[in-house]
Amino acid sequence: MLLRIRAIGIGIIAPAGVVLIWWGVTASGLYPEAILPSPLAVAKALLEWAFGSTNAGPYSGTLSTAIWASGQRVLVGYIIAALLGVVIGVPTGFSRLIGSLLDPLIHLLRPIPVTAWVPLSLVFFGFGFKGAIFLVALGCFFPIVVNTIEGVRGVNRTLVKVGYMLGASRLQLLRLFILPASLPSIFVGLRLGIGLAWVLVIVAELISVNSGIGYTLLDAYQFSRYDVVIAAMIMLGIMGFLSDRVIVGIQHVALRWHREMSIHAE
Amino acid sequence: MQNEIVVQCTGVSRTFLSPDAGAIAVLQNINLDVYAGEFIVLIGPSGCGKSTLLNIVAGFDKPTGGEVRVRGQRVTGPGPDKAMVFQDYALLPWLNARQNVEIGLRLQGVDKRTRRKSAIEFLELVGLGHAVERPVYKLSGGMQQRVSIARALALKPAVLLMDEPFGALDAFQRATMHKELTRLWKTTRASIIFVTHSLEEALFLGSRVVAIMPGAIGLTGELHVDLPRPRDSMSPKFAALKQKLFQMLTAHVPETSDAFVE
Repeated sequence: MLLRIRAIGIGIIAPAGVVLIWWGVTASGLYPEAILPSPLAVAKALLEWAFGSTNAGPYSGTLSTAIWASGQRVLVGYIIAALLGVVIGVPTGFSRLIGSLLDPLIHLLRPIPVTAWVPLSLVFFGFGFKGAIFLVALGCFFPIVVNTIEGVRGVNRTLVKVGYMLGASRLQLLRLFILPASLPSIFVGLRLGIGLAWVLVIVAELISVNSGIGYTLLDAYQFSRYDVVIAAMIMLGIMGFLSDRVIVGIQHVALRWHREMSIHAE
Repeated sequence: MQNEIVVQCTGVSRTFLSPDAGAIAVLQNINLDVYAGEFIVLIGPSGCGKSTLLNIVAGFDKPTGGEVRVRGQRVTGPGPDKAMVFQDYALLPWLNARQNVEIGLRLQGVDKRTRRKSAIEFLELVGLGHAVERPVYKLSGGMQQRVSIARALALKPAVLLMDEPFGALDAFQRATMHKELTRLWKTTRASIIFVTHSLEEALFLGSRVVAIMPGAIGLTGELHVDLPRPRDSMSPKFAALKQKLFQMLTAHVPETSDAFVE
């Protein structure tokens, strides 16, 4: 427990330092307040965005709506990516045939930036929810599928022998033996994916939808409200951080065995 | 019962193709009948093919010649009638001891209550009644191997295959496991094929010790061990048998070989 408090305490030092430097720069008068607002101004904007009365200003009191709009795009897109990534990744990693079939395709598509998919996304899904989901799901899919494939390929071959010896069918072998054994690697993909999900939802909101935190950010930029721009950036950081914590929390429970066998086990 | 042949190897050969050395005949024309309740120990130096033979009986590998029958059925692949105990235990670390034993029964379609009861019974049989719900990675090597044996026995296999199962244990744990395995063999009347390269282990456990030498055609020899159990590895009779087995094996080793220097 004490160790945990100490770890959190140490973790706060670096962000606090960044805020301090930021405050120092604004206090020096190097940049006008309108270009680089002070931490205090941003905190005010954030509070107003979160708790202000909705008719007090253009952004006042709209934070929860923005979080909900971005959050559901992230959630739906990410879940689709996770399901597809695992369902496609496990057989691709296990079977040599499916591997040779899908590996080149996956690694050809993977380097294409998601932003390059935007025009096609607009053509097929138009402006709105579907397009945003498509971009988020597509971007998150690759780290998840690649880590799933590699995780499966790294499973000890004796486990396959054990599975067949115990009478497992091929499907049972994948579900009851291979999948749990590759979970540590799958979770690496899931964590990379959730980080990307927030990047991608902003890309989508900058281009093809008109709600959400990313949309607020772009809108505030166009009205030169840099305090709101920075407040939106901070919210993105917080949302990304919190959703990563959720994945880590699930990992904590699902991979207890793996953690307790690892180098940081207590 | 005693006359029933549970495993029948007929003319089993296994040739591996290697790009630089060409065809390597690891097993040539092996004939071996294992009778119900027998404790067979396969012994030989590294590379003699004893593990290959075990893998072929298990259905993990296919012979390039001959065939293996288990209870009269030709072996075409692995299955619960040929339960293997691996040297590295090969347990599922995300399951506890009971679940590790249960999973095989679950795959046989045994209902939840029956398989739970059966798993606990077999864990008690191997002396792990106190560790039923423990995560397996928290168990010592010897205890993990007991779980692995319980998992294999719970399948009620025609033959129990053991591939140097105590190789990773220290000498004290190994000695305990030898006594335990002798007791389990007596109580369950299981038919066992046990692979080792240790003369002492072979003579302590086996009712029949079968020797395979690298490159030999057929089995090199066999020795019926009729010492009373539990055996005393310090007794003169044991020492005499060890001498006999050693001579049987070294008679087929070229002088330069260091296969038996331990």
